[in-house]
Amino acid sequence: MNVAKGVAVEVTGLTKVFGEGDTRVEALRGIDLVVAPGEFVAVMGASGSGKSTLLHTIGALEPPTKGDVRIGGRSLGTLDDDALTVLRRRQIGFVFQAFNLVQVLTAEENVALPLVIDGLPEREANARAAEALALVSLTPRRAHLPGELSGGEQQRVAIARALVTNPVLLLVDEPTGNLDSRAGEMVMALLRSLADEQDHTIVMVTHDAGDAAMADRLVRLRDGIVLDDQTLPRGRAAAELLSEDPS
Amino acid sequence: MSIRHAILGLLANGPRHGYDLRATYQDDLVRAGKLNIGQVYTTLDRLERDGFVEHERVVGAEGRDKKVYALTAHGRAELDRWIAGPSPMPLDLRNEVFLKIAIARRIEGVDPQDVIERERRACFERLHEVTQARARAQGVAVEDELLLDLAVLRLKAFLKWLDHCEEKLS
Repeated sequence: MNVAKGVAVEVTGLTKVFGEGDTRVEALRGIDLVVAPGEFVAVMGASGSGKSTLLHTIGALEPPTKGDVRIGGRSLGTLDDDALTVLRRRQIGFVFQAFNLVQVLTAEENVALPLVIDGLPEREANARAAEALALVSLTPRRAHLPGELSGGEQQRVAIARALVTNPVLLLVDEPTGNLDSRAGEMVMALLRSLADEQDHTIVMVTHDAGDAAMADRLVRLRDGIVLDDQTLPRGRAAAELLSEDPS
Repeated sequence: MSIRHAILGLLANGPRHGYDLRATYQDDLVRAGKLNIGQVYTTLDRLERDGFVEHERVVGAEGRDKKVYALTAHGRAELDRWIAGPSPMPLDLRNEVFLKIAIARRIEGVDPQDVIERERRACFERLHEVTQARARAQGVAVEDELLLDLAVLRLKAFLKWLDHCEEKLS
């Protein structure tokens, strides 16, 4: 991982205001947040709490009104539009609730797309896409179009696409929102294993407590501020829980 | 939970002796419920008295006498009746968190919202613990998965209830 001083993401005094006058909304009101490399952080909050805005601002999809975001030690505020585009493409992997795959491209072409756009030769891009698809156990589906895949498979393709550039940070927005419970479980198990085995840094927004419980840390937002920041203890084995005394 | 019927169920596929029943019960069937051998034999005696099981003495490999128990037709009918009938659904409303919230409301200077907040953190920690274990148990043993699913869903429901309490009392 190419991150400075044990910090993957550092958010300082982040404020985001939409509109003005009567339509003025303070979506974020001075958020401070530090995410260590390899950490898996869940952000929860009711709709309107600012959780999606926080994710978009960290991902340089929205500029902050005040405050700063540093990714891998670099302040987003110091970067011009071109540099931000390159940062989004190379350093950040996005996973959205709605998958956002290109319907006319195969799974492998979808995964290769960020590399192709970045100017990598097609052969190399495809080879790396194939590796990323193997990581999400979708090699047999590489030549399928998104419409030929289940929702869970499409989300795994989207995760492979987010991973293919080997980003510093994965930003994940409601990853199981469009999935049935079984497919949702598989996607969450995949994210967990990316944190455990590949040391990926993940910030995930969710309204589902069960999904959030897969993370190492829970940040709860309310009305644009951090209400609670809870580091979760290392788990025990299933056998131990199953034989726990009920009293 | 009915230990009687669990024992009848464990005898449905053939005769077994007491130690064997105990081992299967607590290592396989109900891991959260320890059963001592005295309980097993007391239960078997009662089942025999009611005509649900019968025993015969068999000389074991080490030369000692063992009682081997078998299900009778009457016992099988009782087992089928139990399986076919609905279980009681206890509401289990003697809840300690509720008690803390209710007491907090009655004491000046104690904020029930603080109680709710601390309980939410604790409940979430627990959900985290069970969810992680559940993910690791995936595909290993389906019955373990089902029990951990039950625990996950209960904890999620409890978290929702805490949110609900917060809203109602604010």
